[in-house]
Amino acid sequence: MTQLRPTDPRFTGHLVRPRLRIVAGVCAGFARHSGLPVTFVRTVTFVLALCGGAGVLLYGWLWATTPDESADGAAGSDPRGDRLPKAALTGANTTLPDNRNPQADPSAGLTPGPAVATAGAEADAVTGEPRRAPVTEILLGLALVGTAGALIANRLGADLPLDAIIPAIVALAGTGLAWRQFAELRSGAGPRSSGMLVRALGALVLVALGILLFFITSESPNVWTVIVAAMSVLVGVAVVVAPWAVRLTRDLSDERAAREREAGRAEMAAHLHDSVLQTLALIQQKAGPHSDAARLARAQERDLREWLFTGAANGPVDLAAELRGIATTVEREFAVHVDVVSVGTVDREVPEALLAAAREAILNAARHAGGSVSVYVESSPTAIEVSVTDRGPGFSIGDIPADRMGVRESILARMQRAGGTASVRPGPGGTGTEIRLSLPLDIQEDTP
Amino acid sequence: MTDPTTDPTTVAGIPCDLTVVIVDDHSIFRSGLRSELDPALRVLGEAATVDEAIAVVVATQPRVVLLDVHLPGGTGGGGAEVIRAAAPQAPSTLFLALSVSDAADDVVTVIRAGARGYITKSASGAEVSDAARRVAGGDAVFSPRLAGFVLDAFGAVAGETAATTDELDRLSAREQEVMRLIARGYAYKEVASALFISPKTVETHVSAVLRKLQLSSRHELTAWATARKLL
Repeated sequence: MTQLRPTDPRFTGHLVRPRLRIVAGVCAGFARHSGLPVTFVRTVTFVLALCGGAGVLLYGWLWATTPDESADGAAGSDPRGDRLPKAALTGANTTLPDNRNPQADPSAGLTPGPAVATAGAEADAVTGEPRRAPVTEILLGLALVGTAGALIANRLGADLPLDAIIPAIVALAGTGLAWRQFAELRSGAGPRSSGMLVRALGALVLVALGILLFFITSESPNVWTVIVAAMSVLVGVAVVVAPWAVRLTRDLSDERAAREREAGRAEMAAHLHDSVLQTLALIQQKAGPHSDAARLARAQERDLREWLFTGAANGPVDLAAELRGIATTVEREFAVHVDVVSVGTVDREVPEALLAAAREAILNAARHAGGSVSVYVESSPTAIEVSVTDRGPGFSIGDIPADRMGVRESILARMQRAGGTASVRPGPGGTGTEIRLSLPLDIQEDTP
Repeated sequence: MTDPTTDPTTVAGIPCDLTVVIVDDHSIFRSGLRSELDPALRVLGEAATVDEAIAVVVATQPRVVLLDVHLPGGTGGGGAEVIRAAAPQAPSTLFLALSVSDAADDVVTVIRAGARGYITKSASGAEVSDAARRVAGGDAVFSPRLAGFVLDAFGAVAGETAATTDELDRLSAREQEVMRLIARGYAYKEVASALFISPKTVETHVSAVLRKLQLSSRHELTAWATARKLL
C-alpha cells in the first residue's frame, strides 16, 4: 500500500478520495489525510463495521461528504485552480502504480478481510479493478442473487421473513441505481439528455416502492402504517438524494470560485494594461526611438503583453510569437527597433529552417543597418512569407563580400534546402535592404 | 504632405498652423505628448474623459483630435463614443486614434466610428506630428499594424480579391499591394516608387481602404476583431 500514499505532510490538506481506490477510496483518502497507514485504517473500519454496522455507516457518510480527487484532465467540470498543484502531485503518484498494476493485487490480497467487511455486501469489489470498482453492478447482482436465494430457501421450507427481505432488496437496488444516475448526471459524462433524468427518477420511484412494500406486505394497513409509510418514503428519498445534492452544491461553489479567480485576473490585466503599458509607451516616446531606455521599455512592454494575453494566443505554434521573441532578444543586444506585423495564422508546425533564416535576417539587419527594422509575416494556406526590411546604408557587394557570403550561406542556402526561396533586394525607396523568405507549404510536408 | 491651402484654420496670423486637441486619460501622457509635438502644432486643449473630450472638441473646433482609444466616462464607449458625439457638432474636425493596445477590436471600433487613422502610442512626437499633418491634409494614416489588420480582416491572405472597385467587402488587387507594402514598413512615397505610381494614387488607394474599413459589413470586421485579442 505504500504506493498509495506518501507520508508527506503536504498531503494533509483537504480530505479527498484518491482515484486509485478499492471500493470508494474513503479509507485511502482518510489514511492519506491523517498520515496513518492505510492498512490500519481499513482494519479499524472493518472492526467498526462488526460493531453493529457503525463502520459501514461511517464509511457511507464519508463517501457522501468527501469530494473526489480532481482528476487531471479527466473531470472536465473541476476547476483547475487551487487544486491543480495537488492534482499534479497526486497524479504523479497514481500513475506509478497504474503502470505496474500487479503490485496492487498483493496489496489488495493483504487485507481481504477489512475490505470485505468495510463495504458489507460489496465484498466482491475487492477483486475488481483497483482504479474503480463497479460497485453498482455488483450491488445489483448481489441483490438479485439474494432474492433468488431467499426464494429458493423459502421453497425448501426455511422460514424466512420474505415480506421484509424483498422490499429491502428493491429499496437497495433503487438506491444503487439512483446514485449511479446521479453520478453520471453530475459528471456530465454521457449525453446530457432528459432520458438520464427520467432514469434517475425511476430509480427513486423504485426506492419509494421498496419502502412502501415493507408496510403493504406486512399486516393489514391502518392509519398509522400509512403515515409511517409516507414518512419513510420521504426520508428514504431524502437519504438517497442528499449526497448528490451535497456534491452538486460543492461543484457549484468550486465553479464560482474559479470564475472569481478568472475575473480577478482579468481585472488585474486591465489595470496593468491601462497603467503600466501606458507608462512604458510614454518612456519610449520621451526617450527617443533608439535610446537604451526606449529599448528596455519596449522589451518590458513585450514581455508584459505576452504574459497578459497568453490565454488569448492562438494555436500551439505561432510563427508571429516566435518572431516577436526573436525581436525581443535582438533588441536587447543591438540598438534597433524591430516591428513585427503578422497576417494570417499558421496552424501547423513552423519549419525550423524558416525561423532560423528569419532570425539570421533580423540579426543581419540589426548588425549592419540598425535603426528600425520591419518584419512582416504573411501566412496563407499555401505559403509562408517573411520579409525583413531595414533602412540602413544598403549594401554594395564589392564592399563586404565575405560577410555577404555568410548571409548567403545562412539565409539563401538554408531556405533552398528547406524547399523555399530567399531573395535580397534594395529596401523601400532604394535605401536599406529587404530580405524576403518564402516557403511553399506543400513542399514542407516532404522535407524532414 | 500638408497642403497649407486645404487647412481652413487660420490662427494668430500664421496660416498653416495646425490646431490639435489631445485626449487621453493619463495626464502624464498628455503633457509628455504635448512637449514632444512639433512646435508648428498648436494645442488648443486637453481632455481626460469622454464627456470632457466632447465638450472641448465642440468648444475649440480643432483641426485634428489626437484621441486615445480607451477613455473613461460617458457610456463606456471610449474614443469611438467621442467621435460619434462630437463629429456632428465639429464638422471640420478630424480624428486620429492613438492606442497603446494592439487589440484589433479596439482599433477597428474607433476607425469604424470615423477616425481617419491609427497610430501606436509608442510613436515619437515627430511621428505623431507627421501623422496629424497627414490627417489634416485629408490622408488616411495607416500604421504597418493597421495595414496588417486590414489584410487579415478582408481575407486578402486567403486570396479574396474584389472584382470591381466599388465592392465594399473585399480589397482590389492594387489595394492589397499597397497594404502589403505599408505593412512591410514602407512610407507612402516608397510605396509609390515601388509600384511605379504617383504618391497621390497611393493616397487614393489608402483612403479607399479606409472607406471600406468604415463601411463594410464584412463580419470579420466585427466578429473577428473581438474574438482575436492581439496581433
